[in-house]
Amino acid sequence: MTDWEPKITTFLCNWCSYGAADLAGVSRLQYPPDFRVIRVPCSGRVSPKFILAAFRHGSDGVWVSG
Amino acid sequence: MDKCIACGLCAEKCPKKVDDLYNENLIKRKAAYVEYAQAVPLKYAIDKDNCIYFKKGKCRACEKFCPTDAINLEEKEEELSIHAGAIILAPGFTAFDPSEYLTYKYAKHPNVVTSFEFERILSATGPFQGHLVRPSDHKEPKKIAWLQCIGSRDINQCDTGYCSSVCCMYAIKEAVVAKEHAGSDLDCAIFFMDMRTHGKDFDRYYDDAKEKNGVRFIRSRVPTIESVEGSDELIIPYVNENGDISEESFDMVVLSVGLKTSPELIALAEKLGIDLTEGKLCQTASFHPVSTSKEGIYVCGAFAGPKDIPQSVIEASSAAAKAGACLSVSRNTMTREKKVPEEKNVTGDRPRIGVFVCQCGINIGGVVDVPGVRDYAESLPFVEYVTDNLFSCSTDTQDIMAQVIKENNLNRIVVAACTPKTHEPLFQETLISVGLNKYLFEMTNIRNQDSWVHKDEPDMATQKAKDLVRMAVAKVALVEPLVEPELDVDERALVIGGGISGMASAKSLSDQGYNVDIVERSAQLGGMALNLFRTWKGEDIQKNLSELIESIETDSNIKIHLDTELSSVEGFVGNFKTTLNSNGKQEVVEHGIAVIATGANESRPDEYLYGEDSRVVTHLELDQMFMNNDPSLKDIKTAVFIQCVGSREPDRPYCSKVCCTHSIESALYLKELNPNMNIYVLYRDIRTYGEREYIYRKARLAGIMFIRFSVDEKPKVSKDNDVLKIELWDPILEETVVIKADLLALASAIVSYKDEKLAQFFKVPLNEDGFFVEKHAKLGPSEFATDGVFLCGMAHYPKPIDESIAQALAASSRAVTLLAKKTIHVGGTVAEVNPLFCSSCGVCVSICPYSAPSFIEEGPFTGRAEVNPVLCKGCGLCVASCRSGALNLKGFGEGQLMAMINQI
Repeated sequence: MTDWEPKITTFLCNWCSYGAADLAGVSRLQYPPDFRVIRVPCSGRVSPKFILAAFRHGSDGVWVSG
Repeated sequence: MDKCIACGLCAEKCPKKVDDLYNENLIKRKAAYVEYAQAVPLKYAIDKDNCIYFKKGKCRACEKFCPTDAINLEEKEEELSIHAGAIILAPGFTAFDPSEYLTYKYAKHPNVVTSFEFERILSATGPFQGHLVRPSDHKEPKKIAWLQCIGSRDINQCDTGYCSSVCCMYAIKEAVVAKEHAGSDLDCAIFFMDMRTHGKDFDRYYDDAKEKNGVRFIRSRVPTIESVEGSDELIIPYVNENGDISEESFDMVVLSVGLKTSPELIALAEKLGIDLTEGKLCQTASFHPVSTSKEGIYVCGAFAGPKDIPQSVIEASSAAAKAGACLSVSRNTMTREKKVPEEKNVTGDRPRIGVFVCQCGINIGGVVDVPGVRDYAESLPFVEYVTDNLFSCSTDTQDIMAQVIKENNLNRIVVAACTPKTHEPLFQETLISVGLNKYLFEMTNIRNQDSWVHKDEPDMATQKAKDLVRMAVAKVALVEPLVEPELDVDERALVIGGGISGMASAKSLSDQGYNVDIVERSAQLGGMALNLFRTWKGEDIQKNLSELIESIETDSNIKIHLDTELSSVEGFVGNFKTTLNSNGKQEVVEHGIAVIATGANESRPDEYLYGEDSRVVTHLELDQMFMNNDPSLKDIKTAVFIQCVGSREPDRPYCSKVCCTHSIESALYLKELNPNMNIYVLYRDIRTYGEREYIYRKARLAGIMFIRFSVDEKPKVSKDNDVLKIELWDPILEETVVIKADLLALASAIVSYKDEKLAQFFKVPLNEDGFFVEKHAKLGPSEFATDGVFLCGMAHYPKPIDESIAQALAASSRAVTLLAKKTIHVGGTVAEVNPLFCSSCGVCVSICPYSAPSFIEEGPFTGRAEVNPVLCKGCGLCVASCRSGALNLKGFGEGQLMAMINQI
């Protein structure tokens, strides 16, 4: 299981966390490529349904950030 | 500059390392650099003073490696001349350099840092990625001390007599954040003289830092820092409050350095011919807080006195209002309208998606297999066209993209490139230019959030790019064109409150060319200022006030409604309809914006024999005696001032901000009347921020006695055979002092009107103290989250005249940004209700911070919710909260987001 990679779905707020993820890029901070980003206008847009759907579609983790 | 794509290759290849000024020289950067990661526009530059080519004529590595030929080493400095009708000075400040303080060992010991350096150390984009370590050995410190007033309130060592206003608050913030980073075991101690947390909610933060976060506050001026031979430790010797000498060791010491005007700025001021103050700050007057001594030149920010972010933001808007008034006749004379082709109707058409994958030179292409991603995209449903570009954002690629969209009859576009935060508008312009609705577009980020951060894992990065493109394609297939309707704005303004703030706001709106209705509940204009004698700068308030009142009364743009209150408010930004009630007479006013300037009141003390003995008066009563030239004042032998009467107490835990200055100003006036008078000021912290500090010093020099007390041991006032006796414990003398007074002036708290009715009318919030809550504590101090409603003066928080007027100008400045548009462009990404599904539960109505949803009042769907698209900011809070599935957020609909999730 050592080369197992988790699949993580992230919901990032356009105004803060999404911008922070961009900044991480500008600063070339390296992190594991296991995240798939869904940009939302506000973390408040994230309905519990989305989180459940992400798990249902095989995500190992869901990260809502805003 | 247009060619730079911010790939950073120039910086990577540049051989010259130099100190990184942005990171306070704690680390190095290259001579080819971007000043900081958040820079806008994000463009690299060559530091001419350090570049090897500019110094020695050889190198040009950056030029060789730049993939877009963006580097032009032959570029010459240009001198531009601009014809301007007004000038705004916003040059900021320079931090005090503590290396001249030899006793603090700043230049000698690496673990003595300035607060600015510490700020960078705490920052995620700082030298240690936000990991709190000390510079000497990069070990985590266990104990940190902050020393306040370094380069402030000090005329012995640095010739800066004023208080820098912001350091107390930033030191507390740094201590709290440091504890957040390092864990609660970190010991933080702040050595201070007076704790000056006079801003809105600042005292609460101070109390929390003390009680909840365990930050230690030690009242002492530290004379020196001693280092220990062979160790990185630092020893602070100090005299505690009882006069005993102690010492304590720390791993790190932060010097809370003050704000100064740079010599370059002093030279600029001389060139411009504007007056500076004693502290070399820009001279302004209380009634004209952003006007310099020269007409047409305005000032804002720390150059006009050290100040924090909210006050700087307020002044920035005020200066814009003043400049706007000068230039109002020429408004819109230089604007040009852009011609756009008619929009193609694609509703109901089968999606024809074009996918453009960007290489961004080698930025994406060097890591991600871009042709692979491109070919993969071709296999996705509804995709009719795919290509990859070397630089998707270049002008020629945009032209080609427009051509391709037309030729292939594409109706949905996906660009996989950098970040939509900077580039989405550019691509949307291209869509608009070929008659496609700009919302038929989706951008996915395979640079900042992929190739740049997964450099060493190209296969995984390529897979991620494919996944992201698949998700974007799935979403874009479901997007629909969105409209951005336009709405006319009523250009009339309503100002509520006829005090200084309301009048200043109304006058400013009128000066900028708008008609104003000003409403005052009492029978005359002037508000609380009618009771005030003079400002701390010695200006006659009544004289200035009557000039302001006269300018309002004679202004044909302004209609005054006295003895008037609001009885109802309908409508929203751009189109309000307010009913005014003046002694039963109703009048309806239609207006586009409203300014709330309802002020605050002086509290009636219920302690210190107030109301029981005529010698005990409040500030306003004392000012009245001054204005009446009360002959009894001269006969007073001993006058006592007690501070914080009803402020900074458990049931009113805020500072009333103006009282320290007011008391000292009054005390000095009493000294003018009778130099032999004994005057005592009993205080908890003297908060004479900025250049107000001068009058505190002047008062001490004049022999006024300042005695400190703590909230647990407040002074006791009693009457003994008609002698008014004040007793209090003096911590320095270590004994109870008894003063027999002829006058006792109480610095009674400023309290809000708790105007819940008005708050409901305009759907704006009040805080627990009853003051109105602004849109954003730092960046939106003069407006509400609800569009079209603005805020100024003491209705926001207690403040002196200059700050009230600055905020009044700011409120009108913010309002003009709406009024000047004449129409409001409503965003396309807004929430909408399907009333058939709505269960009238009201969650959306109560949850929306912008008051956009409301209940339908008539027709078949009465009682169901609707969303006013004008007020909606498109956050989707209501949509996610709706239990009935009645709400949808256009552009981020459930189907669209689910489509993305399905493709994970």
